[in-house]
Amino acid sequence: MNNTFAVNIIHRPEMVPEYAEKVTGQGKAEDIGRKALLTESLDIFKFQQATAHKNGLKTTIQMTYASLFNEEAIQLAKDDHEKYGDEIALSLLGLPCKEFREKYNTKDFCIWMFSMEDKMQIVDDVFGKFHEIFGFYPESTGSYYMDAELTNYIKEKYPSVKCAVATCWEEGPKAYHTCNNSWYTLFDGGPWNPWIPSKQNTHAPAANEAEDSGIVAIPHLSRDLLACYDGNGSNFGTHPQNVLRGMIYDSKTWEFPYFYNLVDQYRHLEKFNNGYSYNMMFVGPGWLNKMGRWEAPYELLKKSYEEGMAYYGDLKKEGKLVDMTMAEFADFYRANKEYTEPECALWKDILYGSDKQLFWYADPYMRAQINMDQGGALVDLRPYAAKLKWEVGIGTKHVQDASYPFLIQEKYRAGYFTHYAGEGTVRSAKISYNGEEVDLCLCRTHAKFKQDGKARKLILDPVEIEFDDLTVKLQTIITFEEGASNIKFERNILEMSNPNAEVTINEYMVACYGTTEYPEDMTGITLTVAGDGKSESIDYAYKCREAEICGGNAASAVIPAIETAVSMTTDMTDAKAYIREGYAFSPMFTLGIEKKVKDKEVVTTWLNLAKAN
Amino acid sequence: MAQSSKGKLNYRCPMCFFRDLDIDMFYDKDKQEYYCLRCQYTGDEKDVLAKNELIRMKYGKMMERITDFD
Ligand SMILES: [Zn+2]
Repeated sequence: MNNTFAVNIIHRPEMVPEYAEKVTGQGKAEDIGRKALLTESLDIFKFQQATAHKNGLKTTIQMTYASLFNEEAIQLAKDDHEKYGDEIALSLLGLPCKEFREKYNTKDFCIWMFSMEDKMQIVDDVFGKFHEIFGFYPESTGSYYMDAELTNYIKEKYPSVKCAVATCWEEGPKAYHTCNNSWYTLFDGGPWNPWIPSKQNTHAPAANEAEDSGIVAIPHLSRDLLACYDGNGSNFGTHPQNVLRGMIYDSKTWEFPYFYNLVDQYRHLEKFNNGYSYNMMFVGPGWLNKMGRWEAPYELLKKSYEEGMAYYGDLKKEGKLVDMTMAEFADFYRANKEYTEPECALWKDILYGSDKQLFWYADPYMRAQINMDQGGALVDLRPYAAKLKWEVGIGTKHVQDASYPFLIQEKYRAGYFTHYAGEGTVRSAKISYNGEEVDLCLCRTHAKFKQDGKARKLILDPVEIEFDDLTVKLQTIITFEEGASNIKFERNILEMSNPNAEVTINEYMVACYGTTEYPEDMTGITLTVAGDGKSESIDYAYKCREAEICGGNAASAVIPAIETAVSMTTDMTDAKAYIREGYAFSPMFTLGIEKKVKDKEVVTTWLNLAKAN
Repeated sequence: MAQSSKGKLNYRCPMCFFRDLDIDMFYDKDKQEYYCLRCQYTGDEKDVLAKNELIRMKYGKMMERITDFD
């Protein structure tokens, strides 16, 4: 798949756009059957389709349940399929319409939030209606989120389905806050680019055929991997109106170069993924409202859509883009990717003007973020190795919260900086010498990516650590070995101003678990330190206890609530391994390995993830 | 005092936008001002637009076309 920038463009004829009724219908009593609303919605769909075709791009038409009751929408889909090769697919978004409300007596519209019983009935209803109209079952479907149980049901009953829009990247508490705590799309922790979901948990990619859910998942939009991590996802994506929502345009000239930068940085990711890169654009009709939206008049909404699409069209003309329908993309993906092949993204700030650089890594065992601006600290970690069964919807323990739990999340759990007490989640190292201590989190640097067979390496530029009377030049190398379910950290002492000096490197990981900003109960977690024929454990009880073993080579934690085991190990025989319990004001645990080193020596440790039953 | 309504382009509160909150403001015809239900901001259209320009200061590279991603 060398040099393939694959692009999916998706449109949906939504008869009652999500925002239109609330935004344009303000001051009117709710009436989702309003004639004006239906006409406007179809006009927007026609405009979107025409804009793609004008630029030589094919689309995937995701019919909504409501549109299956509209003859004009059906005919438009059939015609465009004939003429342009657009795929006729079926969305599980856009359920609301008179027929749906009457049948299900609810205003719920997010498929993953229904009870399992309702999910099955709605799927049968929607797929049945689709078949009745088109005479075949769709190959693609989707929603903002597709829980594993929903996907498994669909795949079993409608095996033709091979592709689905299955998550919005990092749309969780951040999006909820931005929407005045009223938009319940809580699903942080997934991949940003397409993947094959496991049968157990949508976020976690399948490691093999047995885990394969049978579909290829694509994200809803391609989002800025830096901006979205600490901001509203819906401002920073390959969705021209998202960019307007973020006010990322010149209000006088209506120029928005950020959108093109975002597309181009996604294209750049081919360097880390064997020549493959990806983009998805899926603008719901509510965003092209004739009344204007987010301070932007319709003319600007329209212009941004046309110019965004024209950019994809130009790239295609230059041979730099391959437009695919979702079903075509699923075939392409399966033909070119192996289960354990990771998705890698060395990403830089393209919006704020900082010099920050991040690295994102996702495979069937983990999703990890390394922050070069914090010396290569691991600042977000999702233990996919646990393949956590996490049912969502009414009648489950998680009605809305579909996020994959983290062990480390620097924004929700402080990271390096805390307010004068306690600790935040991060995996970094501290270097100490003669009573002075420096954390690598404060050593800003950059990295280069290197692939050695099955190993993806992040080679960080060396940093200098200045003590009162000693300067240490240190280089970090972080290696992700395909299929290994671990991360290797190497700290190389390249140079010391006093070649005879000895410094201590303390490799540590402060972690907890959760899906939101608020702490979870740590009771039940067991910490263990082991090595040199000894072992000691602490059952978490917020008592601030510690244990260490000189000559130890492993510090681990088992977290039953998320069925995860995490450990820090080393192959060095003369290190010290330790564990630290937290306390109520610092509901964390720490795993660490400490070692004294001299010039030119290396400290090597691994962070390992496994399922704990 | 008549009830307020949405303005013509659903202007959001610029002060809330600064703290990553999207909140449509309402328009008070009597006072001829937009106001925020959540925070204490009020302002006429001109002031809203001026504050919206200030918001953009957080995007240091907003208008730069970037070609080097290394
Ligand atoms: Zn406000």
